[in-house]
Amino acid sequence: MPPISRGFRGRRHADVDPSRIPPGQYLTPDFPVLSAGPTPRTPLDRWTFSIDGEIDEVRRWTWDELLALPQETVTVDIHCVTKWSKLDTEWTGVSLDTLLDGVETEAEHVVAWCDGGYTTNLPLEDVMGGRAWIAHTYGGEPLEPAHGGPARLLVPHLYFWKSAKWVRGITLTVEDRPGFWEGYGYHNYGDPWREQRYWSD
Amino acid sequence: MSDDQPLDGNGVAGLLREVLAGDPTTTRRRCPDCGDEQPLGAHRAYRGAGIVLRCPSCEAVAAVIAEQASELVVHLRGALLVARA
Amino acid sequence: MTSRAPITWRVATVREVVVETPTARSLVLDVPGWPGHRAGQHVDVRLTAEDGYQAQRSYSIASAPETPGLAITVQVVPDGEVSPYLVEEVRPGDQLELRGPIGGFFTWRVEDGGPLLLVAGGSGLAPLMAMLRHRAAQGSTVDTRLLASARTARDALYRDELERLGPRDGLRVAWTFTRETPPGWDGFTGRVDAEKLAAVAPPPDAGPRCFVCGPTPFVETVADLLVHAGHDPRAIHAERFGPTGS
Repeated sequence: MPPISRGFRGRRHADVDPSRIPPGQYLTPDFPVLSAGPTPRTPLDRWTFSIDGEIDEVRRWTWDELLALPQETVTVDIHCVTKWSKLDTEWTGVSLDTLLDGVETEAEHVVAWCDGGYTTNLPLEDVMGGRAWIAHTYGGEPLEPAHGGPARLLVPHLYFWKSAKWVRGITLTVEDRPGFWEGYGYHNYGDPWREQRYWSD
Repeated sequence: MSDDQPLDGNGVAGLLREVLAGDPTTTRRRCPDCGDEQPLGAHRAYRGAGIVLRCPSCEAVAAVIAEQASELVVHLRGALLVARA
Repeated sequence: MTSRAPITWRVATVREVVVETPTARSLVLDVPGWPGHRAGQHVDVRLTAEDGYQAQRSYSIASAPETPGLAITVQVVPDGEVSPYLVEEVRPGDQLELRGPIGGFFTWRVEDGGPLLLVAGGSGLAPLMAMLRHRAAQGSTVDTRLLASARTARDALYRDELERLGPRDGLRVAWTFTRETPPGWDGFTGRVDAEKLAAVAPPPDAGPRCFVCGPTPFVETVADLLVHAGHDPRAIHAERFGPTGS
């Protein structure tokens, strides 16, 4: 047992409903910035979001076209595999249900791909049913580049590495293709409530 | 060592220890993508789910370290040049 | 036999808390079994709360290898989790865990020679101070120039000690203040730039070793300026301070 550092408590809050904090997580009031590489900067006039792969015709939206779609504002809790959780975060964006509306596909999986080369994989059904958005606004303000701006994938029911920053598209795939962290030993699915952090979990 | 009776990792443990016990910040890495040699201490470190070390010359991934509960899982790319003591 | 010294956690007891500035303290630590260090190296510090929660950060060693008692200098980070505890709460007798010393890349020993150019942004001065204290302990007179940047004179670390160390015995110290200058100040003001570096640094053909430490944007700017001024990139050692929490 390591020595206790007298008086050290860390920055955690006791006054929150513990059933909102998944196992092994600590509450944080900040919003830590984590990333696998440098922050990319894509000018909005060159930015597009695409849905490609197992789809009859590639769908693509420019920034203006994305903003012209029906928008949703949601308040969700987010959980990072590095153990911090942040409650009641407010995001505005376009639901993947809107973007995938009418798509016919044999695919059961998706790979989200991003500026800078980051990828992450998810079951197709996990980005549908009101569980995923392309989010461009956080807390009422344009999403900062450090946090994934201009737009990131938001999938709050899974560990936050699945909410890919700087997302530029999703590829519909028949086979499951592990993304960046999944290929380096992180769990393929990543459910924080079952503490699925690593391959072995 | 003769080819038909190779040693195993235990047999070369002393050498493996030398490889793994090198000072990580002065050990140089030759990048397979751009060919540059830079000390690991000069590589850019990004903290995501785990740590990603990137070549300072071309940003290619040099190493990924996942800090799991009871072990570190370390992926390395490129050649390490470990100075001998 | 390979020493496991750098990777095992050791218990450190706080022997003394030194007030450096209103927002910074140096903690002098007793670490039984400490294997010694080189100037420029750092340690990982781990704190454990009563319920087992742990937090870990890295701090440069500010003391010379010759001095008994290991010192780290901690600057409060606004809204930080660990630094406010180490600066505002910690008392002599408290315990924490320490791992190290770590880092061979950003180190200097007298026998490595000079001339030396040391450039510090804020608390990035800590590992460079270890180098200067080591230099003084060895009685070295190697040509050394320090350019240290701080927001105000109140935030300037080790100012009195630096005033005693130089200018003499080959050491010259230059401060620049970026937010507010003391009354009657006739030294540098504003951020470190090409002009200040040119005024302080030895010429590139003198082949100085350059050590730059501070927040990442500071380090990257200064390193670029030094390369631009003709200094050998391989002689520039950089240590970027940033969030190290895990």
